[in-house]
Amino acid sequence: MGAHIVQLERATKAFSLPEGGTITALQGIDLDVERNEFLTLLGPSGCGKTTLLHAISGFVQLDGGKVRIDGEDVSDRPPHRRPVNTVFQNYALFPHMNVGNNVGYALDIAGTERKERNQRVGAALELVGLAGLENRLPRQLSGGQQQRVALARAIIARPKLLLLDEPLSALDRNLRQAMQIELKTLQAELGISFIFVTHDQEEALTMSDRLAVLNKGVIQQIDTPRTVYDRPTNAFVASFIGASNLFEGTAARSGGNTLVATADGLQIEAACSGGWKPGDGAAATALIRPEQFSLVGAGAKGPTIGIDIEQVVFTGLNFQIHGHTPSGRKIVAIIAAVRQADVASAEADGKARLGYDPAAVHLLPADGTQAAAEMAA
Amino acid sequence: MSASTLRGRRRTQLGILLGPASAFLAIFFLCPLLIMLVYSFLEPGLYGGAEWAFYPDNYGRILGFANPEFEDYDPVYIAIFLRSLKIALITVAATLLVCYPAAFQISRLPDRWKNFALFLITLPFFASLIVRLFIWVLILKKTGFANMVLTGLHIVSHPLELIYTEGAIIVGMVYVFIPFMFLPVYASVEKLDWSLVRASQDLGANGFQTFWRVIFPLTLPGVVGGSIIVFIPALGNFIVPAVLGGAKVMMLGNLIEQQFLGARNWPFGAALAMLVMAAVLAILFFYIRFEARRGDDAPVLR
Amino acid sequence: MGSLRNVGVVGLFGYTILFFTFIYLPIVLIVAYSFNSDPINMMNWSGFTFDWYRQIFGLKNTVSENALYIESTEQLLNALRNSLTVAAFTTTIATVLGTATALGLYRFNFLGKKFYRVLLFAPMLMPDIVLGIALLIFFVGAGVSLGLKTIVIGQCSFLVSYVFIVVSARLAGMDRSLENASADLGADEWTTFRRIILPQAMPGVIGGALLAFIISMDDLVITYFISGVDTQTLPIFIFGMLRRGIKPEINAIATLMLLFSFAVASLGLYFRSRRG
Repeated sequence: MGAHIVQLERATKAFSLPEGGTITALQGIDLDVERNEFLTLLGPSGCGKTTLLHAISGFVQLDGGKVRIDGEDVSDRPPHRRPVNTVFQNYALFPHMNVGNNVGYALDIAGTERKERNQRVGAALELVGLAGLENRLPRQLSGGQQQRVALARAIIARPKLLLLDEPLSALDRNLRQAMQIELKTLQAELGISFIFVTHDQEEALTMSDRLAVLNKGVIQQIDTPRTVYDRPTNAFVASFIGASNLFEGTAARSGGNTLVATADGLQIEAACSGGWKPGDGAAATALIRPEQFSLVGAGAKGPTIGIDIEQVVFTGLNFQIHGHTPSGRKIVAIIAAVRQADVASAEADGKARLGYDPAAVHLLPADGTQAAAEMAA
Repeated sequence: MSASTLRGRRRTQLGILLGPASAFLAIFFLCPLLIMLVYSFLEPGLYGGAEWAFYPDNYGRILGFANPEFEDYDPVYIAIFLRSLKIALITVAATLLVCYPAAFQISRLPDRWKNFALFLITLPFFASLIVRLFIWVLILKKTGFANMVLTGLHIVSHPLELIYTEGAIIVGMVYVFIPFMFLPVYASVEKLDWSLVRASQDLGANGFQTFWRVIFPLTLPGVVGGSIIVFIPALGNFIVPAVLGGAKVMMLGNLIEQQFLGARNWPFGAALAMLVMAAVLAILFFYIRFEARRGDDAPVLR
Repeated sequence: MGSLRNVGVVGLFGYTILFFTFIYLPIVLIVAYSFNSDPINMMNWSGFTFDWYRQIFGLKNTVSENALYIESTEQLLNALRNSLTVAAFTTTIATVLGTATALGLYRFNFLGKKFYRVLLFAPMLMPDIVLGIALLIFFVGAGVSLGLKTIVIGQCSFLVSYVFIVVSARLAGMDRSLENASADLGADEWTTFRRIILPQAMPGVIGGALLAFIISMDDLVITYFISGVDTQTLPIFIFGMLRRGIKPEINAIATLMLLFSFAVASLGLYFRSRRG
């Protein structure tokens, strides 16, 4: 039926606020979800990612636009008639039923014959690593176990796609990381698409085939994690994913490169290699990720930025150097831990010279929508 | 301060605090009940009061078998007991049906309206029972409001016999007991985790299935609690049948009243009261077992 | 499908409106018809009048074509006086006993505490007719003459439970660490009780007292059995009126009683919402 398992066409939804007025949660969103992909919806709270999820599962009725699942228009269908299942943030396990009855619920509703139902319950539990726990009650399980029961319950009915609403947010760090791997593996095994909602960007980067960044009801960028990280389309995405140093200024052509001149006298050199090329005199923002800086000596070749060091933080893996330019602009640089000696001497000096490769500088338009339009062209 | 004086002081304090109430309840609550138990086994005196003789025939008479020398088998008392049981059960069911949907709707309202609604529902509870009942006499009687409306709208051609029927008693009792049923049911409904309802829908259950498999079982504690709080006073009630049943429909309560203030057969009246007690204790016994089996949650009656 | 969902939502809301109508329609009727000038058929509206209210307050003596006035205003006022007297005594006694018991159980643990708690619940669960006749047998057997005294005692036997429950609930919500803080700052037990525990428990005590007062004023069944022939409280008076024939003033009396109950109840509920 086509390459897309879910299609959202100009999905629009507004909510009325208790104090009066409305808030538009989804602003005419178009989204195509591929078959067998792990797609993450990422964004700050209130960006619309949960509303988007609910629009697909049916708990939110769109004001405008359509939802198609596997080619069928399900916009008017209530949740219990959509071939989609959800793993809820608080798991929503039925407290008055044991694990077996929780997991088998969808099959019981559908009237599946007893033997087959029990078989499939057993298989689902085994798949999530909880074989044999049919008779336990939810309150007797740990957080991680409850999470898996919620998973097993959602996949047993063989939905066409699985929605996961911040399922790992209640788990502690180690368990969380273990579950991330398990979810990835599970998705590959089942062969269905997972749409995963989170506000944790690290999680989004490590797990997704594709990543959609949302803000204020609009998809800012949707692409592979690598691309979103290296080539964000606007300042919002740039600062939401990873740390960033942003330099707003005016562009000027210089040979094959572009120079962005900032108001406080800095000149950032960017080598244009695909991506957006600003015209001469256009407003542009240069993005340099902290890890793209290196500590260089006075006579270094290539562009550099001089800073006064405010603080050096050791994180185990690397050093974070927080400083500012003579004009007071804050800069963050991340230097690998092996360069300990260089960092120590810079710290002793109180100053540092940061070098960077122009090819690693990413240019963003000063106004976000411009780039999106031009890149789509 | 040594440990023994501390303990002594604590014991004195405890004694002062609990002593008076305990004594009071012992004398004026437990004692009368025990005396009533004893009385139910006594022989009725000729002009009221009781003779000090063991007389099991009070209970016998309830079952229909009094002293065979003087009385024939008369199951009228069993009939009254069964009728009281029936009316009480119907009252419980009707009150539950009336209250449940409203509890549901109110629990979904925004906070301010919720509190106001609760206030409105509990307010009539504080009005005098007798006043609330007497209104129904005026509504249900032949020249009353209900018949006025029915004949006025030409739904019926002549006034209906509404009052002094079992139906009238049930309506009256439902009206009186709504606050008792509503609050426990509402407490349970309000605690319902709505994400469970969404999970059920997500897994393919339609409205009815979701209600029956998820919502109702989870609100059961409130339903059971409310049912008991209504059943107990409904069974032994005598005011509602007196006012709305007249002489025609007699319940256990009326019978007991009659024995005490009319026929002056106190031992028999006591025996009947013991019957009511027995039914109540049986219900409470089953309730405690039900609660124990459920385990964790605290009993609704608290 | 969305429309079916909406029908359900509207239906439920509509039902709730009906629900409230069912509860309040009789009350509205009573109040409305207390101004009805038709003395014979109270449900037949024939004009607006304050007559019945005047009659109650003794300001007017209408002789209606209706039945003989066995009940005079004097009897009504007497019954009211009795009710208030009884309520005053029972409220005081029940509040003191109930509060003391609640404090005792809050502070101390002892053998059989759970059982004791059940015992305190028992009077509330008992059908009132059973309690009524048990008390009747008891009083007559003990040779006590039935009257106001016996009514007070009889009502207290279950009012103590009500007060206990309300005060207990209030105490249960109290922060125990406040007592420790008070002791830490040098207050002895009695001072801590006076300055910390009692003020905190006060809303519960007042709530319990109000509850006891209202229930005492309204009590019919138990009072009915142990009041004897000569003594009447207000509910008994009305009950008697119902059995002997309904007089038009009854609407007015009922309306006034409703107003009074609602005022007291609103006060009580307002108090409870304030304690936060």
